[in-house]
Amino acid sequence: MSEPFEPKIVAFVCTYCTYAGADLAGTSRLKYAPNVRIVRLPCTGRISPMFILKALQKGADGVLVSGCHPGDCHFTHGNYHARRRWMVFRALLDFTGIPPERVMFSWISAAEGSKFADLINSVTEDIRKLGPFDQYQELITETESPATL
Amino acid sequence: MITQEKYRTTVKELLANGTIKMAIGYRPGSTPDRRRPLFIRTSEEADQLVLDSTCITNLSGYLVTEGLLSDEKQVGIFLRPEGIRSINILAAEYQLNVDQIVIFGFDSTGREVRPLQGRNAGDFSALLTEIKENPPLTSKEPLLERVEKMNAKERFDFWQEEFSRCIKCYACRQACPMCYCRRCIVDSNQPQWINTSSHTLGNFEWNVVRAFHLSGRCVQCGNCDRACPVNIPLRLINQRMAKEVVDGFDHFAGLSPTQEPVLASFKKDDTETFIL
Ligand code: SF4
Ligand code: SF4
Repeated sequence: MSEPFEPKIVAFVCTYCTYAGADLAGTSRLKYAPNVRIVRLPCTGRISPMFILKALQKGADGVLVSGCHPGDCHFTHGNYHARRRWMVFRALLDFTGIPPERVMFSWISAAEGSKFADLINSVTEDIRKLGPFDQYQELITETESPATL
Repeated sequence: MITQEKYRTTVKELLANGTIKMAIGYRPGSTPDRRRPLFIRTSEEADQLVLDSTCITNLSGYLVTEGLLSDEKQVGIFLRPEGIRSINILAAEYQLNVDQIVIFGFDSTGREVRPLQGRNAGDFSALLTEIKENPPLTSKEPLLERVEKMNAKERFDFWQEEFSRCIKCYACRQACPMCYCRRCIVDSNQPQWINTSSHTLGNFEWNVVRAFHLSGRCVQCGNCDRACPVNIPLRLINQRMAKEVVDGFDHFAGLSPTQEPVLASFKKDDTETFIL
């Protein structure tokens, strides 16, 4: 194993803030790790915990969920609802043995292109250090339905 | 015994004067320590009513049976404190109108059964507040502590071991009074969120989703634990989640019929220490 491990990371982002932030990172020609697959959704309130499980089910090593800062939600309070849900879901994952370091949450506004690039870089590094999510991937292998990420 | 006799008389009276159209209680089951639900519509049926310390099933799920309450008549039901909490949650989630529910409350210590004062969900708020302040210790406490002490890898293995036995019979869902959705997420296949095979992967997802949907709603009645044919300690996860919402949002599920569901409400200053 001389090649460094390249983690697969899925990012669920809201279209009004974090996606626009990612766009800004791109138009500002900022370079960031290519390990992230971005899924754009209307609002963080639309990001169901099922999405996170689905990403893991398809072989993700890490998941990032990101949206507008509190008070900035396009739909006024989608992110407040999401925040509660995440807190509970995060505790649930922790209790059932999914390391909380693999499922991350952040607020990134449309103006924070560089925060987006930095975060993707640091998240990729963190997951690279953790290594592949072997325990979960064993379960995927057991079902004989290979990952399609 | 005295409590049982008193309640038989009360049920007969309320049926005779037309206050309630039916009462839901317990009758003997297939073994001496088992009870079955009893649906009392007549005075003769009321004589079959049994009320003792083995009446542990939370019967409140029967109230959301389609059409039961649509004639706006009242229905009586035998409930322990957990059951009363589930009535409150069902009311808060607009699944029933508390004014239609006549509660025959009871509780037991050892083999002794005693009635609870009150008839309407609102009458029990002092009792429920008391339970919130001093939650009764369950037999699961040592196991909970053991699991909490594990590291992530050990916990993962612990739960995989438990979930690997799951046969996806969904008895836990059917038994839970809070699982009333007409179409459960595991029954939908467009999209298929949860692997249908009974491989551990699908079992894990199913159990996590079930626990998430019951977070801040579970009343620790234990129906799921008792229904599970392979003895997965299901309530343990919900017990942990209940603690989470009490600590995080001071939310004790089922305190009153007008309590806002914890995951359908928010405060602007909810904690967010985990957000990057
Ligand atoms: S999850 Fe289990 S203990 Fe909790 S309310 Fe449902 S049946 Fe009762
Ligand atoms: S009752 Fe037990 S075996 Fe059946 S689906 Fe629930 S956890 Fe699985």
